Amino acid sequence: MPDPGTGEQLLRTAHQLIVENDDIANTLELPRLASRLDVIREICRHLSPYQAGERPIVGATVIAKDLTIDSLAIMDMVMELEDSFDVSIPMNVVAEIHTVDQLADTILDLRAKR
Amino acid sequence: MDPLPSRNSQLAQRRADFASVPEMLDYAAQGQTGVSFYNAKGDLLSAIPWREVRERAHVTARKLIGAGFAAGERILITADTWPGFFDSFFGAQYAGLVPVPVSIPVGIGGKDAYLDQLRRQLFASGAVAAVGIDDLAGFLADAAREFPAVRLHGGKGALDALPEKAVDLRPLGPADLSYIQFSSGSTRHPHGVQISQRALMANLAGMTGPAGLDVVPGDRAVSWLPLYHDMGLIGFLMGPLSCQLAIDYLTPRDFARRPMQWLNIISRNRGSISYSPSFGYDLSMRRGAMQVPADLDLSCWRRAGIGGDMIRPEVLHRFADAFEPSGFDRKAFIPSYGMAEVCLAITFSPQGEGVRTDIVDRIALADQQRAVPAADPRDGQRARSFVLCGRVLPGHLLEVRDPDGKLLADREVGRIFIQGPSVMPGYFGEPEATREVLSDDGWLDTGDLGYWLNGEIVVTGRAKDLIIINGRNVWPQDIEWAIEAKRIVKNGDAAAFSIDTGEGERVVVAVLARVSGEEARVALARDVAGAVREAIAVDCDVALVPPTSGLPTTTSGKLSRARTKANYLAGLYTYKPAAA
Repeated sequence: MPDPGTGEQLLRTAHQLIVENDDIANTLELPRLASRLDVIREICRHLSPYQAGERPIVGATVIAKDLTIDSLAIMDMVMELEDSFDVSIPMNVVAEIHTVDQLADTILDLRAKR
Repeated sequence: MDPLPSRNSQLAQRRADFASVPEMLDYAAQGQTGVSFYNAKGDLLSAIPWREVRERAHVTARKLIGAGFAAGERILITADTWPGFFDSFFGAQYAGLVPVPVSIPVGIGGKDAYLDQLRRQLFASGAVAAVGIDDLAGFLADAAREFPAVRLHGGKGALDALPEKAVDLRPLGPADLSYIQFSSGSTRHPHGVQISQRALMANLAGMTGPAGLDVVPGDRAVSWLPLYHDMGLIGFLMGPLSCQLAIDYLTPRDFARRPMQWLNIISRNRGSISYSPSFGYDLSMRRGAMQVPADLDLSCWRRAGIGGDMIRPEVLHRFADAFEPSGFDRKAFIPSYGMAEVCLAITFSPQGEGVRTDIVDRIALADQQRAVPAADPRDGQRARSFVLCGRVLPGHLLEVRDPDGKLLADREVGRIFIQGPSVMPGYFGEPEATREVLSDDGWLDTGDLGYWLNGEIVVTGRAKDLIIINGRNVWPQDIEWAIEAKRIVKNGDAAAFSIDTGEGERVVVAVLARVSGEEARVALARDVAGAVREAIAVDCDVALVPPTSGLPTTTSGKLSRARTKANYLAGLYTYKPAAA
């Protein structure tokens, strides 16, 4: 999958992040400085299984509409991203996120405010 | 901070023999029990004894009365699980105002749909105030803009900022409403069920009494159920309060994130009463069974209720298998049946018997509306199991009727009707909608289908087109409108229904495919599913119907969802896009 920001092939970053599960969130290895690229990569890692046909996942991809992801998986992804980047996205903010870019910017904004 | 005790040291337990919500809280406030709030990590965030709940409610009430709100006016409250909800809900009770608890937004990109919902609820309830958590203050302001009658809106600060005046409290009494429950009707035309104080007290007495959960001193309630749902608000706030129990709360979001915390809190605090729709048991089993803490001890859980959607026996069996080693008693399961129109509960299956099923022949059920015992219960093709939901609560009457109103006997499937003191006075401000379901002699048409078996009711499905997904009621027209509103298809070109997959319900949307070429068909299916997900937050399968055949209609020219579904199940809409 090409990187939506740079066009280069994305490296899977799963080895850096132990995501999910009950009570082990504390063991997360947090990327100390999350760049926008890190966040986008991580989002794309979650979304890549849901790519619709050949259309690449880009910043402007509307998550609920342009992909084949279902709503439970979207919820799961948001929760895992919150855990990975140690942020909590308020429900009113979640309700206004449509695209990959908006999701990434939200996470970066929240991290910057910590 | 320590969790609140499960028992009151001096105060004798009174079991739901009160005349109103304020009276219940006045009594519970004399003890040490109360409500505790936990986060997804299982940390105790706050513990508020009923005494303090009452004091805080009095302050809020004096602010509301002092601000000039008149008795009987409605206050909309976004019902997140947090102490502020208790302040506003009980504050309204002591101020003589009628609370209207409503849901909070779900999922990403749901803002517009949520604002629409808020506006409809403000309209239907005629609310004069709209409050909630701070995060939603902006949405409340947006929604309230079109309603000049809304004199106060905002987050916690909006109520806190009102001056507390030295005014007399105006507690709601037995003849008043207690609150308005939105859970009926489509989201476009929501009906608010009037929960009267009197009906609520009758239902609580039944729920907590010997024919229900038979609550005893020392019982402790644990809940993650949303407080905007009748099972959350009546079942796990009013019910425990009516018996002065302690309650431990987890928010629905945190439950979804860490379902094992539900069980951890039960284990740690020795919870004895907790409920969930089948999907909650399923979620905890699927996410939690792999890493059950060694010290998890669920032997304290004596009433594991199931309600809110069709009960799935196989899900419950799997849950019990997974947690029996941790002390879970499968006999603690209590399948129950009810709806907001009767406050909450109609029937409870008997205590200590667990989940009992009746296995019937699918074909006789579908073709003759008869629940004939299956010749071979293990034949999954022909056999279908239903859960026995128990006897009707004392003081109430239940009937199963055929379409002509004739009373049906054992194993004959018909429409379920109920009469008795828990039945609502009607939908708020909707005499016509009320007349459609409530007769002059007080019989409520539940809209559900079922049959009698030795004095117990077995619920088989819904007569209406209503779709219930994960405990959530979804009206097919809302799904169709969402697609049509995005101009993905023309009005009348979509029909939504649900199919029973055996594990749960699945939404199917049949749309007329006025496009040609594989790519365009794939795109159409994807757009339909995307629009449904964005507006309603449910997932669906899309069936593309050739425009030449059209969607089936009734004799009066209305869309027939039942016939669309029958066609779908008969395999008439076989085309499935490759990538959708």
